[in-house]
Amino acid sequence: MAECIVVTSGKGGVGKTTTSANLAAGLALAGKKVACVDADIGLRNLDVILGLENRIVYDLVQVIEGECRLKQALIRDKRVEGLYLLPAAQTRDKAAVKPEDMKRLVNDLKEDHDFVIIDCPAGIEQGFKNSIAGADRAVIVTTPEVSAIRDADRIIGLVEAHDLPEPHLIINRYRPHMVSRGDMMNKDDILEILAIPLIGMVPDHPDIIVSANRGQPVVFEERSVVGAAYRRITDRVMGIDVPFPSFEADPGLWANLKRWMGLAPAREAV
Amino acid sequence: MRSLFQRLSEAIGPSKSQSKDEAKQRLKLLLIHDQVDLPQAQLDRMKAEILEVIAKYCEVEKDDGVEFKLNREDGHVALVSTIPVRRVTARA
Repeated sequence: MAECIVVTSGKGGVGKTTTSANLAAGLALAGKKVACVDADIGLRNLDVILGLENRIVYDLVQVIEGECRLKQALIRDKRVEGLYLLPAAQTRDKAAVKPEDMKRLVNDLKEDHDFVIIDCPAGIEQGFKNSIAGADRAVIVTTPEVSAIRDADRIIGLVEAHDLPEPHLIINRYRPHMVSRGDMMNKDDILEILAIPLIGMVPDHPDIIVSANRGQPVVFEERSVVGAAYRRITDRVMGIDVPFPSFEADPGLWANLKRWMGLAPAREAV
Repeated sequence: MRSLFQRLSEAIGPSKSQSKDEAKQRLKLLLIHDQVDLPQAQLDRMKAEILEVIAKYCEVEKDDGVEFKLNREDGHVALVSTIPVRRVTARA
């Protein structure tokens, strides 16, 4: 039974596209057949994060308007079996697509894939409505910031108003350092406010930027802590119970002292 | 360049700001406010209806000096209204 998951957040810039790319790639790594849909018409980016931007021929709007067949527009990722991208149109705007169009498109994709992952645009207007139209469930991405959490709360309400089941939460850009000195809300603070189940925590880490530079999703990186965080999220999405590791390991007084005296480089967030 | 002493005292001494507590407090208020936020048209309608009820018992200023708003106070949101009463009209 295929499933469509929408990745959404309300606020822009919290990591929806990175999450969508890594979730889709992670599911493909786990042996699933996945279609990844960029629903951000006019501002497409999922192609770039996945490193598939040079292979686009047709886009989502052309499929909906019947200019090409769905199969022609899907780009097959050569790095992993079973990963496909349906790119957004770059020269059109969100009004080119209606929720019924998306519903039909998602149903067509579900016939041939195990998962359909939709990368939702920021905001709560047309693009959001299109994105959730065909979804079976939602994953909400937020960061430990007041503005992102506020928008996440709003989106959670809208998702539930559209008769989708209770969404799951990904806390992105977590900085263990700042959390341990009390300058960033921790997991429990955020869960207390948003009150939905947690499905993943992703530390803020340079690997994300490096992988975006290369167009190579970090979930492919065996040794990356962020890659591992996305692999755990993938497992949880597939219903596997994976414990949450603690990111807040204290390096100890001596390591701290050395760092403050300039004898050791500043510790990066893990 | 901060002195070693400053760096040490910052590191060992109690953290002066727990800014996450501020963030959390602000968020909680914000969300309560977001959830009870009434569109202006509804607020106006409610105001008119409440004034009507009050007018049964008191003679009130209808336009000037009537204040009606949702206030954020520490930890909760309150509907705050000031309605100047000219005189009490009704008898029990």
